[in-house]
Amino acid sequence: MSHVAPHAEPLIRLSKRDAMPSWKGMLVRILGILLGVALSSLFIVLVTDLNPIEVFTSLFDGCFGTPRRIWNLFQNTAILLCISLAVTPAYKMKFWNIGAEGQVLMGAAATAACMIYFGNTINQWLLIPIMIVASLFAGMVWGMIPAFFKAYFNTNETLFTLMMNYVATQIVAFLITYWENPKGSNSVGVINAATKAGWFPYLFGKQYLVNIIVVVVLTAIMYIYLKYSKHGYEISVVGESENTARYIGINVKKVILRTMALSGALCGLAGLLLVAGSGHTVSTSTAGGRGFTAILVSWLAKFNPAVMTLTSFLIVFFERGAAQIATAFRMNESLADIITGIILFFIIGSEFFLNYKVNFRHKHKEVA
Amino acid sequence: METTVPAIELRGICKYFGKIVANKNVNLIVEKGEILSILGENGSGKTTLMNMIAGIYQPDDGMIYINGQEASIHSPKDAFSYKIGMIHQHFKLIDVFSAAENIVLGIKEKGKYDLKKEKESIRTICDKYGFIIDLDKKIYSMSVSEKQTVEIVKVLYRGADILILDEPTAVLTPQETVKLFDVMRAMKKDGKSIVIITHKLNEVMEISDRVAVLRKGESVGSVLTKDTNPEELTALMVGKKVELNIDRSEPKNCEDRLIIRDLNCRNREGAKIISNVTFTAKSGEIFGIAGIAGSGQRELLESIAGLQKLESGEILYNDPESGKQENLRNKTPMQIRHLGVRLSFVPEDRLGMGLVGNMDIIDNVMLRSYRKGHSAFLRRKEPKTLAEKIIRDLEVVTPDAKTPVRRLSGGNVQKVLVGREIASAPKVLMVAYPVRGLDINSSYTIYNLLNEQKNGGASIIFVGEDLDVLIALCDRIMVICGGQVTGIVDARTTTKEEIGLLMTKTGGEEQ
Amino acid sequence: MKKTLKILALVLSLCMVIGCFAACDNTADDETLTDGNVVSDGNVATDGNATAGDAADDVALDYSNIKVGFIFLHAPTDSTYDKNFMNAVEEVQATLGLSDDQVIVMSDIAESEACYEAAMDLVDQGCNIVFGDSFGHEDYLIQAAQECPDVQFCHATGDSAKVENIPNFHNAFASIYEGRFVAGIVAGMKLNEMIENGEFTAEEAKMGYVGAFPYAEVISGYTSFYLGAKSVCPTVTMEVKYTNSWFDIDAERTQAIALIESGCKLISQHADSEGAPKACEEYGVPNVAYNVNTSDMGPTTALISSKINWAPYMTYMIDCVVKGEEIAADWCGGFNEGAVELTELNTAVAAEGTQEAIDAAIEAFKNGELHVYDTATFTVNGEVLTSYLADVQPDAAYEGDTEVIIDGYFAESEFRSAPYFNIIIDGITAVVEG
Repeated sequence: MSHVAPHAEPLIRLSKRDAMPSWKGMLVRILGILLGVALSSLFIVLVTDLNPIEVFTSLFDGCFGTPRRIWNLFQNTAILLCISLAVTPAYKMKFWNIGAEGQVLMGAAATAACMIYFGNTINQWLLIPIMIVASLFAGMVWGMIPAFFKAYFNTNETLFTLMMNYVATQIVAFLITYWENPKGSNSVGVINAATKAGWFPYLFGKQYLVNIIVVVVLTAIMYIYLKYSKHGYEISVVGESENTARYIGINVKKVILRTMALSGALCGLAGLLLVAGSGHTVSTSTAGGRGFTAILVSWLAKFNPAVMTLTSFLIVFFERGAAQIATAFRMNESLADIITGIILFFIIGSEFFLNYKVNFRHKHKEVA
Repeated sequence: METTVPAIELRGICKYFGKIVANKNVNLIVEKGEILSILGENGSGKTTLMNMIAGIYQPDDGMIYINGQEASIHSPKDAFSYKIGMIHQHFKLIDVFSAAENIVLGIKEKGKYDLKKEKESIRTICDKYGFIIDLDKKIYSMSVSEKQTVEIVKVLYRGADILILDEPTAVLTPQETVKLFDVMRAMKKDGKSIVIITHKLNEVMEISDRVAVLRKGESVGSVLTKDTNPEELTALMVGKKVELNIDRSEPKNCEDRLIIRDLNCRNREGAKIISNVTFTAKSGEIFGIAGIAGSGQRELLESIAGLQKLESGEILYNDPESGKQENLRNKTPMQIRHLGVRLSFVPEDRLGMGLVGNMDIIDNVMLRSYRKGHSAFLRRKEPKTLAEKIIRDLEVVTPDAKTPVRRLSGGNVQKVLVGREIASAPKVLMVAYPVRGLDINSSYTIYNLLNEQKNGGASIIFVGEDLDVLIALCDRIMVICGGQVTGIVDARTTTKEEIGLLMTKTGGEEQ
Repeated sequence: MKKTLKILALVLSLCMVIGCFAACDNTADDETLTDGNVVSDGNVATDGNATAGDAADDVALDYSNIKVGFIFLHAPTDSTYDKNFMNAVEEVQATLGLSDDQVIVMSDIAESEACYEAAMDLVDQGCNIVFGDSFGHEDYLIQAAQECPDVQFCHATGDSAKVENIPNFHNAFASIYEGRFVAGIVAGMKLNEMIENGEFTAEEAKMGYVGAFPYAEVISGYTSFYLGAKSVCPTVTMEVKYTNSWFDIDAERTQAIALIESGCKLISQHADSEGAPKACEEYGVPNVAYNVNTSDMGPTTALISSKINWAPYMTYMIDCVVKGEEIAADWCGGFNEGAVELTELNTAVAAEGTQEAIDAAIEAFKNGELHVYDTATFTVNGEVLTSYLADVQPDAAYEGDTEVIIDGYFAESEFRSAPYFNIIIDGITAVVEG
C-alpha cells in the first residue's frame, strides 16, 4: 500500500500532564530562571558592549551591596507583600479588585490627615492607634463601595475598582493642595519632620523594622485565616462557585462585602505603613503602582501567603537590582526592565511546562 | 464501489490525558453504507475516539485510514476534506443566525455570497433525506430537535459521507427519536456511513447494523446487531453480567410530606419558567419528575430548596417530628435549615452547585456542616471521618480523602455528593439526574441508595431523563412540559409512550 | 477547540518573545548612542581640563577625590526637565575630567523616602556631594544631610537652606526670570510686527501663558515674561491658564488651544512637555518656550526659549569642595554666571532687530542696569507697588515676612534663590481652576 500522508503531523504537540512531584517542579522553575538569565546575558552581549557577569553582579549589588540596600530590599518586599496579602482574599473570591492602588492611597491619606491635624495636639501613644483605625477604615470604605454595588446591583467590579483608583488619586491631589508645604509647591513634604509625631518608632535604631514585623505577622495571620477559618472557607466556596455557595446557604452578598472590607482595610494598612512607617509624606504616587504589581504577586503564588513572600521578594529583587544596573551603567532603566521581563517571562513560562508536556513528532512504525 | 475497503479504519489508536488513559489500542472499522453503533459506558472513551476522527484531538499513537489511505486529521477542516462530519452533543450554532445562515457559515467559496441559491441547494438535501426544517427560523427560537436537524444538514451540506452522531437521542423525546432514525435510514440508503454513539441498548438494537463496544478505553469487539441481544451487549460493555432489575418496594407509611400549590416562577429574562405547578410528595415513596430537558425541572427543585425567587404559590412542609407545617416559600436555604426542615438536594450541576471541584473530599463533605460550633475556625475532624465513611461505604475510587473532587470520575463525584446529602438523614431528598454520566454499576448503587432512603421513610423527588429507569424506580411520575404539569401517572401501570406524549403536550391538563 | 487554543497560546508567546527582541533592539540602539557620547566627551575632557582649570584659578585643582551623586526625579530620556540637568552633568564631567566612577546618576527617584534612601546610598558609595534636582526632594535631602555632616548636599529649586541652617545643605537656583524677561522682549517685538502688518490692533495684542501651578516660581516666571513684552509693546495683556501638573502633554495642549481660541496672539508656557509648542505650530501662533529649543517642533512658530544652565553651579559646588571652601547656602546664578541662557533665536519667525534687542537687554542685566520687576513698569490693582512682604521664610504660616521692595524694584531672588514673586499684576488675568 502506498504511504500517503496528505497532512503531516505537527512538529510539536502539547498534552496536559499530571501533577509532578514538587522537587521536580522546583527544578523546572530553577531551570526556567537559569534559561532566562542565559537569554538575557546573550541579549546583553548582543546589543550592548557590557559584560553580562558585571551586569548581573550589579543586580545583586543593588539588592545586597550594603546593609542599607538589604534593609531597603526587605522594606520594599514588606510593602509589596502587604498589598499582595490584602488583595488575595478578594482574588480568591474571584472578585477582580484592581483598586488596591486607590485603597492604599486612601489609607495613606487618612494616616497623613491624622498626623497633620492631631500631630501636635495628641499624645504619640494615642495618635498611632487613631492613625491605625483611620487608615484601616479609609481603605475599608474604599474597598466596600465597589463590593456593595457588585453584591446588590452586580456591577462589573473590575471597571468599578479601576475607576475608584482615579477618584482616590484626585482626592489625594485635592488634599495636597490643602496640605502642601510650602504653599504652591504641590507637595506635602515630610510631615511633622521636627516632632516626629505619628512616626513609627525605630526599633533597635532600624527605621523599617516595624513595617517588616507587621507584615510578617500579617502573612502568618492571612495564611491561617484563608486555610483554617470559616471565613476563609466561605471565601473559597464563593470564589469557586457562587451557585454552590448559595446552595449551601452562604449569604454571598455578605461574604463579598466582608471580604472586600478586609481586603480594603489591609490595603489601608499598607497605606499606613507607607506613610507612618517609611515615607512620612503622601502624594498621588505613594502607592507607586504596587497595587497592580501585587496582583501579579498574588497570582504567581496561587494565593498562598507563604509562597507570596517568595514571589514578592523576587519582584522587588529584580526591581531594585534593575535600578542599580541603570545607575551603574548609566543606562536608562529600559535595559534592566528588559532583563527583568525576560526572566519573569521564563518564570511564568515554566508554569506552563509544569502543566503541559511537549511531544515532538515521532516516526510511526511503518505499516505494510 | 469497492466494498472491501472500509470507510474508516482505526488501528492501534491511543490517547492519553496525563495519566488518564482515554483510548488504548483501539481498532475499529466503519464500512461504507452502514450504521455502526459505538456502545460503551460513560467514560469508556467513545467520544474521545470519535473526536480524533473528527479532528478535535490527535491520537498519541496509532493510525487512521480513510478509504484505505493513511490520514492525518488535525482539525475539523481536515476532517471535512475527508468528508467526515460530526454532530456533537453540544450544538455549535450561532443563536442569532437563521438555520440557512448557520448551515452555510464558514464555507469558503469563490464568488458572491448568494443565500438564495444556497438555500435551494440546502432544500434539495432536506427533501432527499426527509428533513423538515424552516430555513429562515432563527436558532434561538428552535427546539433542541430542530437545532439537531440544522447540525445534521450542515454536515451534509459540506458533503460529508461519514457522519458521526454523539448521543443524538439524549435530548429527544421518543417521537423525535423515531423521526431521527427515519432520516438516518434514508441517509444510509444513499450510501452514507453513520456512526452513532449511545449507551441506550434499545436504540442500538433498533437502528444499527453493527455494534462496536468499548470498555475502559479499549475495543472489546464488534458484533452484527441481528446476531446479538441486549444482555450480551451489556455483558460486553460492563465486562460481567449485571442484574438490570431495580428492586422496587411498595410505599409504606405514606404521609403528605411536601405540598406544592400553584407555584409560579419567572426566570431573569422575565419568561415564565414554572406555571401553576401543584403536587404532593409523600414520605416513603419515590416521586418521579419526567420531561424534556429544560422544561422547568431544575427551577422547580431550586424553588423548593430556596434558591429561586417565586412569583406566587405555596411550598408547605409537614414536619414529622413536631407535626408543624412550615411554609418554605421565598425562604433562603439558611432560613429553611433554621426551621429544622431536613431537606437534602442533589442538584443536576454537581460540580457547579453541589460540590466545589477544586476542594478535596473532606472540604466538600464539610460544606453542609462547617458552620457547626461557635469557633471562628474550622473543625475538619468530623468531616474527615464522614468523608472516609462515604469513601468506604459507597466505594468511591480515590487515592485519598484529600484529593480534589474534580480529579474524580463522574460516578465517584456523584457518590460523594449523594453520600453527603444522605448523611444528614433527610426527610425530603431531591435528586436531579443523579445517574447522568455514570456507568451502570454506579447507577445501580445510586438507585439502591435512593430505595434505602425511601424504605427509611424519606420522601424522594427524582428528576430523571431515562424513561425506562423512571418507570422502574418511581412510584408515581409527574410529567412536566414547558413549566406546566401535564399529568401525574402511576409508574406501575404507565407506558413510555404515554409519558412521551405527555412530555410534548403543550398547554397542560386543564386546557 | 482546546488544541487550537493551545497552539494559539504558543504562537502568541512566541510573538511576545520575538516582539520583545525587536523592542529590545531599538532601545538598545539608543542606549549605545547616548553611552557613546558620554564616553567620547569624557575622553576629550580628561587631557584638556587640568591646564584650563589651572589657568582660571591659579591653583591646580585635584578632582581625583571627588565623587558626585545626582538624584533625578525622572529618567532624562523621559523628561525635558531632567534632561536639562543631565546635559549639565555631562558637560561638567567632561570639562572637569571626572571619570565615570566619580559621577553617579540615579534617575526615577520619587519625592518620598526613596529620595532619602537614594541619597544615603550615594553616601555609602563614597560621594562627597549629593545633588537633587526636584523641589520635592528637599525634605529628604535635609534628612540625609543631618545624618551625614561630612557630605555636601545641594538642591536645585529648593528654599529651606537659609532657614534650616544646616551647614552642609545648600539651595541653588537661577534668575531665570531675567531670561524670561528677554524672551518677553522677543515676544513683544513679534507682536509689534504683527500689529504693523495689520493682523490685529494694538488693543487686541493679547498673549496666552500655560502655567503648571499657581506657584511663585510660575507666577514670577510669567510676570517677567509679560513685563518683557510690555517693555516693547505697551498695550499688551496676558491670560494665564494652569494645568496643575509639571508634565501633562494633553493638558498643556488643551490649555494652549483654549488660549488661542480666546484670542491670544502668542503663547508661552512654563511646563515640561511639547504639548503647547506643537499646538501653536498647528494653529500657526508664535510660541516662546522654556528649557529646550523647540524650533524643530515649530519651525514656523517657535521664537526662542529661555533656559537654565546648571553646569556653572555644578562646577562651582565641586570646586568649593575641592578647595575646601563653604558652598553658599543659597546660590542664584544669572547671565553673568552663565546660569541663564537663551536658545538660538529662530530668525525665520522673529521680528527684525530682535537679536540686537536681546543682546542689549542681556548686557543691561549683566551690568545690573535692568531690573525685571521695576515698580515703575507695572501696577497692582491700579496702584504702584511701594511695599510688599514676601513669604521668603518657609514656615507653616505662609505669611509674608520680608520687605522686598528695594530702591523701586521688587528684589526677586535676592533674599533666597527660589522665586517668591507671587503677585498678579494688572494686565494679567490668571484663572485658577480646580
